[in-house]
Amino acid sequence: MEIDINIRVTGGAGQGVHTVSNLITRMVVGAGYHFHVTQDYMSRIRGGRNSQTVRIGSEPVRAGREEADILLVLNPDLLPHYLPDVGEGGFALADVPSADPPLIQAPLKEMAVQAGSTILANVAGTGAIACALGIPLETADAVFKADFKGDFFEKNRTALRLGADWAKENLPEKIRERFRMTARVHSQPIILSGNEALALGAIAGGCKFVSGYPMTPGTGILSVLANDGPSVGLLFEQAEDEIAALTMAIGAAYTGARAMVSTSGGGFALMVEALSLAGMMETPVVIVVAMRPGPATGMPTRTEQGDLEFVLSAGHGEFPRLVLTPGSPEEAFDLAQRAMDLAEEFQVPALLLTDQYLADMVVDIDPGVLDVHPVRRHIVRGDSIPRTREGKYLRHAYSESGISPMAVPGDPGITVVVDSDEHTEDGHLTEDHETRVRMVEKRLRKGAMLAGRVVPPLFAGPPNGDLLLIGFGSTKEVIEETRQILAREGRTVATVHLRQVMPFPVEEVSGIVPRYGTALTVENNARGQLARLIRSECGVRIDGTMSRYDGLPFTPATLAEDVRRKVW
Amino acid sequence: MVGRFDTDVENAWCPGCGNFGILNAVKKALEATGKQKHEIVLVSGIGQAAKLPHYVDVNVFNGLHGRALPAAAAIKMANPGLTVVVTSGDGDLYGEGGNHFLHNLRRNVDIAVFAHDNQVYGLTKGQPSPTSDAGWTGALQRAGVISGSFPPLAVALVLGCGFVARGYAADPEFTADLMLQAIRFPGFALVDILQPCVTFNKKNTYQWYGKMTYKLPSDRDVTDRGKALALAFEWEERIPLGVLYRKEKPTFEQLHPQIPGPPLFERETPEEAVRALLRRRQAVPG
Repeated sequence: MEIDINIRVTGGAGQGVHTVSNLITRMVVGAGYHFHVTQDYMSRIRGGRNSQTVRIGSEPVRAGREEADILLVLNPDLLPHYLPDVGEGGFALADVPSADPPLIQAPLKEMAVQAGSTILANVAGTGAIACALGIPLETADAVFKADFKGDFFEKNRTALRLGADWAKENLPEKIRERFRMTARVHSQPIILSGNEALALGAIAGGCKFVSGYPMTPGTGILSVLANDGPSVGLLFEQAEDEIAALTMAIGAAYTGARAMVSTSGGGFALMVEALSLAGMMETPVVIVVAMRPGPATGMPTRTEQGDLEFVLSAGHGEFPRLVLTPGSPEEAFDLAQRAMDLAEEFQVPALLLTDQYLADMVVDIDPGVLDVHPVRRHIVRGDSIPRTREGKYLRHAYSESGISPMAVPGDPGITVVVDSDEHTEDGHLTEDHETRVRMVEKRLRKGAMLAGRVVPPLFAGPPNGDLLLIGFGSTKEVIEETRQILAREGRTVATVHLRQVMPFPVEEVSGIVPRYGTALTVENNARGQLARLIRSECGVRIDGTMSRYDGLPFTPATLAEDVRRKVW
Repeated sequence: MVGRFDTDVENAWCPGCGNFGILNAVKKALEATGKQKHEIVLVSGIGQAAKLPHYVDVNVFNGLHGRALPAAAAIKMANPGLTVVVTSGDGDLYGEGGNHFLHNLRRNVDIAVFAHDNQVYGLTKGQPSPTSDAGWTGALQRAGVISGSFPPLAVALVLGCGFVARGYAADPEFTADLMLQAIRFPGFALVDILQPCVTFNKKNTYQWYGKMTYKLPSDRDVTDRGKALALAFEWEERIPLGVLYRKEKPTFEQLHPQIPGPPLFERETPEEAVRALLRRRQAVPG
């Protein structure tokens, strides 16, 4: 990439780290470039150590970088922690005296006071960075205008310009030369986080009922649905606990509304009995599990992929489920729509498994690449409701596919009976063993059908070679960039990105793995859960796992280095 | 005589069970609403009481233990045209589902809740329920119940429930009338129904209730919450039956801005509306 600049902004919660990142990303897009934001924050309301890393590129950026080219430190106490991040040729800005390279003292507080408010130190710092990048400030003005009124709008503008003017005078020419980005024509992209993309995908998929209990990092999805959902008639209700949340979604789904919940591992643990209920009642429902490190409360605001096996096996009893694992905001938008549709078509719970890294990742996207599929309903109404000779509707009628036509309560002439007990075709509870066998088989036939509709994994690289890297979910783009790094070094490396892990794409993966000398999974967990899954589903050899479980996401440069050390 | 709401599902209750009187009352009350079968949803959790919906020919959601209320509330939110009635046991509603009971009293969705209160866990063979009297000897409490009993009517009143009543399984006519009032009441309406358990509760028997209960005069002022609360605490010497409190307030459905309009499942998602939401996120404002 011609331009690849990594900017890290750090401060305590409440110091406006997010504002800096928001302004920079918009100015970068205004200048015709692309970006990717990684968020790293602590579980507290004020203070602590938060950072956002904005990686800017001349091409779309979809993964982060650990080494920072530009560091802005809003709380000087955090300098010792972050200063080592600054790479060769980079610089750091902080309001501290006696600065040694790469640190440059910027009078952020003084500029903020001059602009009219001490809280604007972050905006002054943003101005300095914009000057270093040589990008126009007007985009930021438009952001201020949209967000602030009157006096405060002016103060923000002033702070931004004071920062830029200071940088013009005080940043060494050499630095401004190195980071200068020539403005290019920009399209009109949108900015989406993983959570936003998933929530909007759910809306596009016809979601009309959402209940939830806040839990990081799944809460962002609830906010989008609560705030943007009303424009398409979506009803949001905050539940008293996660047990209620999923039970409510199932209640709404019983009436035919497409319904969804969003949580993280701990909240999902409470939802598990209701997951099993959806399996038994054959009620379509979508469940987002945005993973964070466990066990228990774990590290609430950090990332991990440790709940894969939990999500695959959660729920007492045997029933089919769909588990989709989006790898980017674009995929989250797409797979959320598919989850809504497939859940209803097959009358199964559909899980969307993401994590904090993807949830909080922010990127620019050309909205034209986001497909909005028409919502296809699978509910029978009126005359299309099948009835027995006696005129009865059988909610769980036996069928070859295992899918019974789903009617909803309120249709004249029929009643819809569902039960958490084993039941007869008409939904009433039974303890008859023969019926039990037929119902188990009926439900499992849906799983077999669902396996025939698997969202195939994405494959990249040569058809055979030294190394195959396999991942699921949020590691997608990190693995892809790692492949490119290693390919430039002459290695024949291929990658498999799994967008669905249940039903597992057995055929596809079984066929690919043996064609490479070494096959490794890349997983944000300690025990190589995906490797185990592939072995058990496909019976193929997986040689090991590139693991990371410190609560942080992989980055391509370090993953490439770790792979080199492990394989060659 | 075969009634409009009868089903041919085999009944699983003990002979002489108080549930029969409650079932009888539910059918009478539903008959009196004039509603069609397809307009009514009976929701329950798990337990002997929770099997009741299977014996009534209407829409049925027989969910998990303790979880009747969240399902029922959401069914009503999603399709307010349906008449939603919860009928489940004391252990289900006040024990396993205690948190949902508290918060649905606050939520005030327009549903009627009939609690079969027999002060014992019957289906699991005689353990105490949240409403068991202290000192009562259950299957697992050989020294007697130590915890104080859960006062459902008082809790409902304190949390702002607009319709609070107590029925009695042995008086289906009287209880059916309370049920009808509860169904017609706009908002969360609770009818706690005293129910002898002929197999496991040898204290709170038909004879005992016959001696202890009395009917509240029908012409009394039912809008005084303080007086209602005093009645809700009457238990040791005598037990009031009837409407303790009735006062309307705006329901969840009236207050939630997204509920007016067609039921949720009939609402469309035009592509243009989705595109508009995407455009709202454009990087450069203007």
